[in-house]
Amino acid sequence: MDFAWSEEQTQFRESVKKFALEELNDGLRERDKRSEFNLEGWRKCADFGIHGLPIPIEHGGLGADPLTTVGVLESLGYGCKDNGLVFSINAHMWTLEVPLLDFGSKEQKQRYLPRLCNGSLVGGNAMTEPGSGSDAYSLQTTAERRGDRYVLNGSKTFVSNGGVGDLIIVYATLDRSIGPNGICGFLVERDYPGLQVGRALEKMGLRTSPMAEVFLENCEVPVENRLGREGNGKNLFTHSMNWERACILASAVGAMQRLLETSIRYAKDRKQFGQSIGKFQLVATKLVDMKMRVDQARAALYQTAWLQGKGKSIFLEAALAKLTISENWVRCAEDAIQIRGGYGYMVESEVERELRDALGSRLYSGTSEIQRVLIASLLGL
Amino acid sequence: MTHESSAMSIVKEFILDEFLPGEEPSRLTPTTALVSTGILDSLATLKLVTFLEQTFDIQVKAHEADEEHLNTLHTICELVDSKR
Ligand SMILES: Cc1cc2nc3c(=O)[nH]c(=O)nc-3n(C[C@H](O)[C@H](O)[C@H](O)COP(=O)(O)OP(=O)(O)OC[C@H]3O[C@@H](n4cnc5c(N)ncnc54)[C@H](O)[C@@H]3O)c2cc1C
Repeated sequence: MDFAWSEEQTQFRESVKKFALEELNDGLRERDKRSEFNLEGWRKCADFGIHGLPIPIEHGGLGADPLTTVGVLESLGYGCKDNGLVFSINAHMWTLEVPLLDFGSKEQKQRYLPRLCNGSLVGGNAMTEPGSGSDAYSLQTTAERRGDRYVLNGSKTFVSNGGVGDLIIVYATLDRSIGPNGICGFLVERDYPGLQVGRALEKMGLRTSPMAEVFLENCEVPVENRLGREGNGKNLFTHSMNWERACILASAVGAMQRLLETSIRYAKDRKQFGQSIGKFQLVATKLVDMKMRVDQARAALYQTAWLQGKGKSIFLEAALAKLTISENWVRCAEDAIQIRGGYGYMVESEVERELRDALGSRLYSGTSEIQRVLIASLLGL
Repeated sequence: MTHESSAMSIVKEFILDEFLPGEEPSRLTPTTALVSTGILDSLATLKLVTFLEQTFDIQVKAHEADEEHLNTLHTICELVDSKR
């Protein structure tokens, strides 16, 4: 395994970090309070090339390999404290762009990918329903073929980017009686008749990433917007989830590194009982544990991306990476608050937001429990 | 034993061990449906793809991990053979 960065990769990562630090953090506390999406920041990131990182150049992306992609996203997460904006970009990339790239027809790719890469379209996916979360394949939304269209009926919830999205992959079943084998994915544009975006859902963290319910009432989708073959939705979603698990938390590793560095600084500066609190072993141990967790998370991220770049299946590694990074992110954020004492609990310190943001990572893209179920099964248990 | 039949017996043994424990081996034929009957659910499919890649040193593309390619022992072996 070789995770050494080339000169070019290092420069790219440094430039992303600088860009993010300078351009993406202003006004974040207010946006977080108001649950406001940073559309300008979204566009700036797209201009920088973030949205199209893993997408081939011919479709408007940068054509970066998986390891470069996660390395750049890690730098973005280090520089950009707006975890909600970063999450929205990731949802757009892994739940829409990548499945479209791998399963879409030539026409579908030509029609949508350039605009997804340049950020003029905002996207995501709609799998979860009020009655089906972890058990995603028990979804109830139906699709029925009528001539040159499919007619979709059902309701979706927890749709990231739902409120601001222009294009989403909606998963629906063509035949409930055949279970997961009846599921199909559809590229649904915001203005298709019968698509209604419901209320915005207010979240605990990642508040700057909009989320909404989506209702489909006889929603008409042209046949050419079916993604992949009829009944291939299970495969499409599995593939999408695999990428999501492998890459969606790359930026979290950068966020954890930022938390570690600021916490070390705080522990050196803050004096109690006549000395820096970092001199107390009980505080120092927390910083050591934070360092250990960041390194574990980074190793899991790089190993998975490296294997992916070699064309290997990474079902096990991706689930392990998702589990390791999300759990370690939460623990790092908790320690960062504890090290700052009462100040860490104050909104002003901007550390409590990090914990609120981190907690969501144990839920989306499959909960930590589901990752463990998957890992156990792949271990042959 | 031919190339194909040896691949088939390896895959058959894996499927019987992993997903059909206790099943009479003769009931799993080259044309027994695996995906459409739910024997290969989504988790089982991930396990099978990982097994095929490691055992036969091949790469299964995302769009190939579907009913068309994995529904029977016969189609699975066709997929494996097309990549060797
Ligand atoms: C920030 C955020 C963004 C999201 N974005 C999207 C999106 O863009 N599109 C989308 O479709 N969905 C999205 N989701 C939904 C997310 O995928 C689901 O919340 C998740 O799959 C869990 O489903 P659920 O919330 O219904 O919980 P449930 O499935 O009801 O689970 C409740 C609890 O039971 C546990 N549990 C369930 N089954 C098992 C089992 N077999 N073994 C052990 N424990 C189990 C769970 O781990 C959890 O602790 C998002 C969620 C969040 C929090």
